Amino acid sequence: MSRLSDWWSERVPISGEQLRELTNEPVPNHMKKWWFCLGGTPAYLFVVQIVTGIMLAMYYQPSPNTAYESVRHITEEVTFGWYFRGLHKWAATLMIAAVVLHQMRVYFTGAYRRPRELNWIIGMSLLMVTLGLGFTGYSLVFEQLSYWGATVAGNITDTVPVVGGFLKKILLAGDNYNDQTLPRFYILHAAIMPVSLILLIIVHIAFIRVHGITELEVPEEPEDKPKSFDFFPDHMLTELALGLVLMILLSTLATIFPAALGPRADPLTTPEEIKPEWFFYASFRWLKLFGPTFAVLSMGLIVFLMFAWPWIDRALTRITRSKEISTYIGIVAVFLLIGLTVWESAVAH
Amino acid sequence: MSDESSQTSGHTPPALNSHSTDTELGRRSFLSNSATVIMAGGLAGGYGTFFAMAGRYLYPSTQNKVWIFVSDAASIAPGESLPFQSPGGVAVTITRRAEKPADEVASGEPLAVDRFLALSSVCPHLGCRVHWESNNNRFFCPCHNGVFNANGIATAGPPAAEGQKLPHYTLQIVDGALYIEMPTSSIGRKA
Repeated sequence: MSRLSDWWSERVPISGEQLRELTNEPVPNHMKKWWFCLGGTPAYLFVVQIVTGIMLAMYYQPSPNTAYESVRHITEEVTFGWYFRGLHKWAATLMIAAVVLHQMRVYFTGAYRRPRELNWIIGMSLLMVTLGLGFTGYSLVFEQLSYWGATVAGNITDTVPVVGGFLKKILLAGDNYNDQTLPRFYILHAAIMPVSLILLIIVHIAFIRVHGITELEVPEEPEDKPKSFDFFPDHMLTELALGLVLMILLSTLATIFPAALGPRADPLTTPEEIKPEWFFYASFRWLKLFGPTFAVLSMGLIVFLMFAWPWIDRALTRITRSKEISTYIGIVAVFLLIGLTVWESAVAH
Repeated sequence: MSDESSQTSGHTPPALNSHSTDTELGRRSFLSNSATVIMAGGLAGGYGTFFAMAGRYLYPSTQNKVWIFVSDAASIAPGESLPFQSPGGVAVTITRRAEKPADEVASGEPLAVDRFLALSSVCPHLGCRVHWESNNNRFFCPCHNGVFNANGIATAGPPAAEGQKLPHYTLQIVDGALYIEMPTSSIGRKA
């Protein structure tokens, strides 16, 4: 036994103490509260997505002739195929929800302020890539929604002035949805975007480690209590328990509301009722309210403002002399987002 | 759990006698050990089930079989064979047994399915393609000189040493048409 450990420590000269030092991030006490673990939630769900995604890729065939049939095969014939597809679908839904909630938490606690502006930008990039993964993901099923969603997305891209036509060609691998479109979405969904997400998460966590987690005053804590606790094993255990709870939740959702399969994509017939996944409801309603060029440019502006918010917040605070100005704007934005989403989900057209 | 820990760590009553401290310590370590066991059990059980299911998922499920039309039964002459490939790419040799004079079929009488034999064209030795030699009444594998008789049983070469035989497929004749039962074609070719 000791010879084995000698052999190992000679080749991997890191002591347990050093490893502890390396991984031990002091975690502020407010992180004992579960609703502050919303950053770890999408990270855990992303691991679920990688595992189930690789499993689905074992049977999935990314070509217009085979995609739909292979998804049907996974769902109806492969042992537990319905379960793993259900997990993938529901983990995607929860991941986007958790990313949005995590971002709201960061926003309303002001955790994006100096010196953490750059990590806010990384976080915004994570949101964008996650939404991209959601979009390319449901495009792969090659049901009616996949086909027409991609067609609409291509035409939205087309309305961007100057570069729109070029971007659309890049996205669809041609002027319209064609045989080469699906492989393109597949490689985006299964390689380019997940790798981008992993790299961004590494930077995101590195920034957290360098700056430390913003400490939040917890009013009911006694003064003499330590302000933080160890990441390992205390917070690790919280995250493990959270993982188990998420697995139970995902399994329940995948069983009670299994991932369905709509009609196969038909390039000749646009369905009467066509809606994207719920996380695009707000932008879909926005597109119905305004002309395409205005809608696209204004959405681009909103995304830009979100990226630049740490600096906009500073300017606004200086101009209005109110520290709460961002909170009020945030409340309005959240209600607008919820309002547009509910509106879109409540009506057929 | 958090109530428990805040109560126990939040105050240390000075008046505790040693007996009650022991009970409290015992209870605390019992609770803490139970929590560890439940956590470890939950992790092992939960993820264990997950990976067991993942294993079942990755192992290909048994394929359904379908009847595929081959040809008009009478079009294969006695002693002749017909190479056949299913839409899924499975290669089979269908042979009509040579008729002995006593077996002559009266004209108009339907052909019996037992006059035919469908054998895989894939040599069980190393997967080469065997072919039917009607003059020798045998299947021959050119890769390593494997020889199989008309019933697909290896008679010479490496397959004979291993006691191997050519896998066979089920046939049926409906209204003079010959059908073979095969695994469903690979999903890409259906559409």
